[in-house]
Amino acid sequence: MIQAVNLCKSFGNLEVFKDLNININRGECVAVIGPSGTGKSVFFRTLAMLEKPDSGQVYINGTDITGKDVNINKVREKLGMVYQGFHLFSHLNVMDNITLAPLKVKKMNKSDAQKKAMELLTMVGLTDKSLSYPHQLSGGQQQRVAIARSLAMDPDIILFDEPTSALDPSMTGEVLAIIRKLARSGLTMMISTHEMSFAQDVASRVIYMDEKGIYEQGTADQIFKNPTREKTRMFIRKLKVFSYSINSRGFDMVEMNVQIELFCQKYNIEPKKVNYIQLVLEELILEVYGDSSINLQLKIDFTIEFSEERNEILISFVYDGRSFNPFEAAEESEHLGMVLIYGVSKNYGYSFENGLNTININI
Amino acid sequence: MNVNVVKSGDYSIISVEGRVDTTNAGEFEKAVMEVVNSGINMIIFNCSGLNYISSSGLRVFLIVQKRMMANKGQLKLCSLQPGITEIFDISGFSSIFSIFPDQDSAEKAG
Ligand SMILES: Nc1ncnc2c1ncn2[C@@H]1O[C@H](COP(=O)(O)OP(=O)(O)OP(=O)(O)O)[C@@H](O)[C@H]1O
Ligand SMILES: [Mg+2]
Repeated sequence: MIQAVNLCKSFGNLEVFKDLNININRGECVAVIGPSGTGKSVFFRTLAMLEKPDSGQVYINGTDITGKDVNINKVREKLGMVYQGFHLFSHLNVMDNITLAPLKVKKMNKSDAQKKAMELLTMVGLTDKSLSYPHQLSGGQQQRVAIARSLAMDPDIILFDEPTSALDPSMTGEVLAIIRKLARSGLTMMISTHEMSFAQDVASRVIYMDEKGIYEQGTADQIFKNPTREKTRMFIRKLKVFSYSINSRGFDMVEMNVQIELFCQKYNIEPKKVNYIQLVLEELILEVYGDSSINLQLKIDFTIEFSEERNEILISFVYDGRSFNPFEAAEESEHLGMVLIYGVSKNYGYSFENGLNTININI
Repeated sequence: MNVNVVKSGDYSIISVEGRVDTTNAGEFEKAVMEVVNSGINMIIFNCSGLNYISSSGLRVFLIVQKRMMANKGQLKLCSLQPGITEIFDISGFSSIFSIFPDQDSAEKAG
């Protein structure tokens, strides 16, 4: 369906990837992940001939589209692209945004193009917005229009480059739902994303990009649960761990809780457990800062890690200052906060070493 | 966090919505004590919209309970979400407060 052979791309001295080979079959949904700057966007743009490769070929259904005599507009009909930003034409309403290319490039007649546009708007759940302008739509709605627009050309494959990362978290769900629907319907697609649960759910293959090319690939389970190579492991592990630092008593707990919620969303952690995590952290922070003999500027670092195998949350809570064990303090007098921590955790432990207090809690 | 007070029969219904934690427990206490201090002594907390509570929030309930007992008033809680019920169980608060499944039964109970 789409194939890259020894594809190389650099910008001046910067070699983004070299000898990249990949073959994507009809109906596949391939997720592309990797650290920032490893060339995911450039890779997509090169496949779409928005960047010219230094060498190598890209074939779509057997046709080499890197050749000089290839009509690039014909290529773009075959290959749709949806970007992080929505890139709608701001001076055109939704209907005109969707029908522009079919009318101009495909020379469709107007009523057919509009009929098709309405079908697509139904698919993305925006029939009542056909006459709205982009600025009148939410980010999620704009991205759904952008998806409808690329579908209007009946492409053989769509490349989604981080389609949800510019969106407010409350809107990623509606966009992912549509992409999921398209994947299920058999549309061939590649998607670069950091949404692991989504990739796990829909991707037939996951590609990890690093070191100037495809560093490791496999099924979602292989890559997310059992990556074999060093850099993949490190990347996946970092995705699974949430870290946060607190430098003074006056920190912003509301912001902290928002961050925790975003992290938990990525793993579909049930709301009840999210509450437990926030509760344990809030109570620990209060205990530690509440102990008046402790320096109020003391620094707290904590991590939250989700272990899928054990379906467990591991919290590691580290603070400096003198040795202070809240579990012991709670034995001496009644601490409501500690009672709650005992109640919601499976295990807990405390240690003091090299000037650092460490509390580990499993939920 | 959102607090809303309405009259229903002899009761003042205080609806609590959202989260009550250390960042807003003070605000919550102030809003509730305004009702208590206005001389009302039949209060039902409708907690159907409450989805998070920490020890700071629980303490406010305790303060109100003490005041109501001193005033010989009545304090009831109703419509706790399962997660909140759990926190009340863990903390032992379930046995300190009269808790009802819904507002109707709270109003009807003596
Ligand atoms: N037009 C360009 N000119 C010069 N360098 C570029 C250009 N586009 C991208 N690069 C460089 O190529 C490298 C790969 O960039 P790319 O945008 O593909 O990364 P990415 O994997 O998509 O990262 P992210 O996850 O942040 O989106 C980066 O070092 C970037 O600075
Ligand atoms: Mg990118």
